[in-house]
Amino acid sequence: MSDLDEFKATYFDECSELLLELEEQFAAIEEGDRDSERLNAVFRAIHSIKGGGGAFGFDGLVKFAHSFETLLDYVRDGRVELTEEVVTLCIRSVDIVADFVNAARNGDTLPAEYGASEKASFDALARGEAAETEAGAGESDEDSMDEFDIDFTPVSVDLSADKPLSDLPVSPDGESSWLITFTPFPTLYERANDPLLLFRELALLGSIEVTATLGGLPTLDQFDPFGVYCSWTIALTSDKASEEAIREVFEFVDGDCEITVEKQAGAPAAEITEPDDLPSFADLAEEAKAERKFVPTGEPDADSAPAAPAAPAADVGAPTPVRPVTPAAANGVSSAAASEEANGGRAVGMQSIRVDLDKVDRVVNMVGELVITQSMLTQQMDDAIRDRYQELVRGIEVLAQTTRGLQDAVMAIRAQPVKSVFSRMPRLVRELAAKTGKKIKLETIGENTEIDKTVIEQLSDPLTHMVRNSADHGIEGLENRLASGKPETGTIRLSAEQAGGNILIVVEDDGQGINRERVLEIGRERGIVGPDQQLTDEQIDNLIFAPGFSTASEISDISGRGVGMDVVLSNIKKIGGSVHVRSWPGKGTRMTLRLPLTLAVLDVMLVKVAGSPYVIPLSSIVETIQNSRADFGHMPSGGKVLQVRGEYVQVVDLARRFEMVTDQTDDNRFVVLCEAEGNSKVALVVDDIIGQQQVVIKSLEENFERINGIAGGTILGDGNVALIVDVQSLKTGHAHQNAA
Amino acid sequence: MEALDMREDYQDNSAAASQNSLQLIAFSIDEQIYGVEITTVREIRAWNGATPLPNTREYVRGVINLRGTIVPIFDLRARFGDGKTNPTKNHVVVVMSVGEKWIGILVDAVSDILTVSKDDIHAVPEGNANDTELLNGIVTHDSRMVGLIDLHAVVAGAKEDA
Repeated sequence: MSDLDEFKATYFDECSELLLELEEQFAAIEEGDRDSERLNAVFRAIHSIKGGGGAFGFDGLVKFAHSFETLLDYVRDGRVELTEEVVTLCIRSVDIVADFVNAARNGDTLPAEYGASEKASFDALARGEAAETEAGAGESDEDSMDEFDIDFTPVSVDLSADKPLSDLPVSPDGESSWLITFTPFPTLYERANDPLLLFRELALLGSIEVTATLGGLPTLDQFDPFGVYCSWTIALTSDKASEEAIREVFEFVDGDCEITVEKQAGAPAAEITEPDDLPSFADLAEEAKAERKFVPTGEPDADSAPAAPAAPAADVGAPTPVRPVTPAAANGVSSAAASEEANGGRAVGMQSIRVDLDKVDRVVNMVGELVITQSMLTQQMDDAIRDRYQELVRGIEVLAQTTRGLQDAVMAIRAQPVKSVFSRMPRLVRELAAKTGKKIKLETIGENTEIDKTVIEQLSDPLTHMVRNSADHGIEGLENRLASGKPETGTIRLSAEQAGGNILIVVEDDGQGINRERVLEIGRERGIVGPDQQLTDEQIDNLIFAPGFSTASEISDISGRGVGMDVVLSNIKKIGGSVHVRSWPGKGTRMTLRLPLTLAVLDVMLVKVAGSPYVIPLSSIVETIQNSRADFGHMPSGGKVLQVRGEYVQVVDLARRFEMVTDQTDDNRFVVLCEAEGNSKVALVVDDIIGQQQVVIKSLEENFERINGIAGGTILGDGNVALIVDVQSLKTGHAHQNAA
Repeated sequence: MEALDMREDYQDNSAAASQNSLQLIAFSIDEQIYGVEITTVREIRAWNGATPLPNTREYVRGVINLRGTIVPIFDLRARFGDGKTNPTKNHVVVVMSVGEKWIGILVDAVSDILTVSKDDIHAVPEGNANDTELLNGIVTHDSRMVGLIDLHAVVAGAKEDA
């Protein structure tokens, strides 16, 4: 991968985050939150997308983002009112930006006119309002991307003395002249900003003359190639510039440089800040270095360290360490550091690092090994060893604790707030409401609950289906709601919380509930429910998860194609979770997703079949029964069925199924009743039940191949391999054999 | 300049050597010696049991834990159609890499490391499909016959009848 590709990849990563943020912010804005900070945030996000896009030459994206940004800018300073139409336009435009980004990522080309109508709307909005205050601004904005090639010629610099600025252009009538000094700090370059781009942007305001100040340039032997020795003085003559407009140009390097902006009132020379007065960064750097000498830990944030006790980094489980900055410490050091502190947003940004997920997974795997090794060691300890080597035993106990801590800490790295999934839902609900003509409000609770990243990735589709289902089938139309004395606006509540080793995600609505009669009718029609089978209310409710089931009498393009809820179930099962639905007729429906905290570790029941260890995921086990107490029935094929609470369940003898010989007598064996896909059950007969434990899932396919009936392998405390039983494939596999 | 020349000479020599000769790990099943190229071998370990895999062919003895990775064990005797090995602690598992995958093969004993010339490799006589499928060739070492195992062939076929 070339450097450029790497940068691109980083850019696209950032774009995804920024787009997510845009969506979140606009959702809040749409709710009526007109906080200026939100507008600033969306403006920044669009600006960042545009900036990066420009660097890689994604012209379409840049042009669109630019128009968008211009509109946002006008909204921000009140020139364009943030009406509902504008918000809707903005939200649609975020999608278009996302499309542009995706196209750029995949190297696709979007049609030339893509987003043109939205762009035209921006420009019209921007121009319409702006025309009064700023003649022709819209026009110049539109073309500004092409105007980048302004005259900028390098200035030759006399190193012996700074060039006096007395020869400032005399401003013609109606124009104002400004003197701007711009002293970048090294951080500006570290964040890949380029002063040239800033100057170019400045030049859009009027004519500029840029003078470099090289007073701080050291002799060559002291020259630090990463040091910053150059500052600039810019004389700007413009008919439209305001101090605000000028400062805005530098908005994105705020905190990374020192800016002074002064209006020249005809006698420029007198008011010029002497360049020598500017804090030369070389001096600041020296100062900072001097500070650093007192830092015992040698930590990079020298500014905070003197006041901070050398913090022991032992507690890996702790959340992101808070940078201990006291005002005293910040004041005591160079202004560069102080201004970085003042710019809190950036300082926070620096506290997270971008890490390749593969690297994290490697750590997760190794920690998994460590856990196994540790429990192996613990198992080796008998009483004799305990008596003889007390220190060793203590050491192993400490190791056990540390290992557990390490495991938690590593899992915490992979954990992410469910927010990233929840934040997509307001949009969905809004679209659904628009399509169905219903009024729907979405409430989200506990969106900061953290779940393993892989689980989150798998969560998006099922949750979308569930919310869609609630909006389409749950919430009634306006008249029906009013008729049944409910508020006009229906509510869908989305909540997430941690409950023990699980995460519960609940989708609730105050709609009509599940129409049990209709569900049962369809269930019988489709042969999902036998003609004489009696079902409890709960069983009827859960029929909606049966494959090929759909209650919608007419198919809408929202939901009702008969795929949906069964997809939810199978997706959730895939990540080791379960779905449960409860419904109150006329009052609403509640669907609960129970998800494991992490995928890397699986809760299992350890069983024995023909002397070999097997594990069954705990999430699929309903109950275990002693063979001698189980109520078996015989089928014509010679197979068995288990009768449990009025239900007949297919029996799979694992030993027979796996073609292994067992010497266990039938009465001493156990039945493990498991739940497979589509709420169907299967009873597995095993030789013995050993107990419950947590295991790390290992792939069989990595070195071998997929085996029917086996979902993977795992390594037990004694170092032996145990196979994970694939309940679903056992069930279907058996059915297939019977049919054949 | 001189040093550079010497290096080139050396490279030529080693290239020539690797072109013409082959280093083998030799192991035995009953009296017969077989070999695999030494570069494919990752580890040699004593037989310490394996977890049997259901629904696979007879010669797949199961899987073992190799430092956290699950590695399948192929019983070479059974693969040759001579019945399953009854393994003891003295039996040996040779772990090797085949393409991207790691596998172990169960053999009676590892005997030696052999260096043979590629020119001495003979084609497998036609006749038995099992022989031609599983062996890449036959080479003579100290007047004994060494069969060169085709590891890809050993692994392949496990799936077909599964």
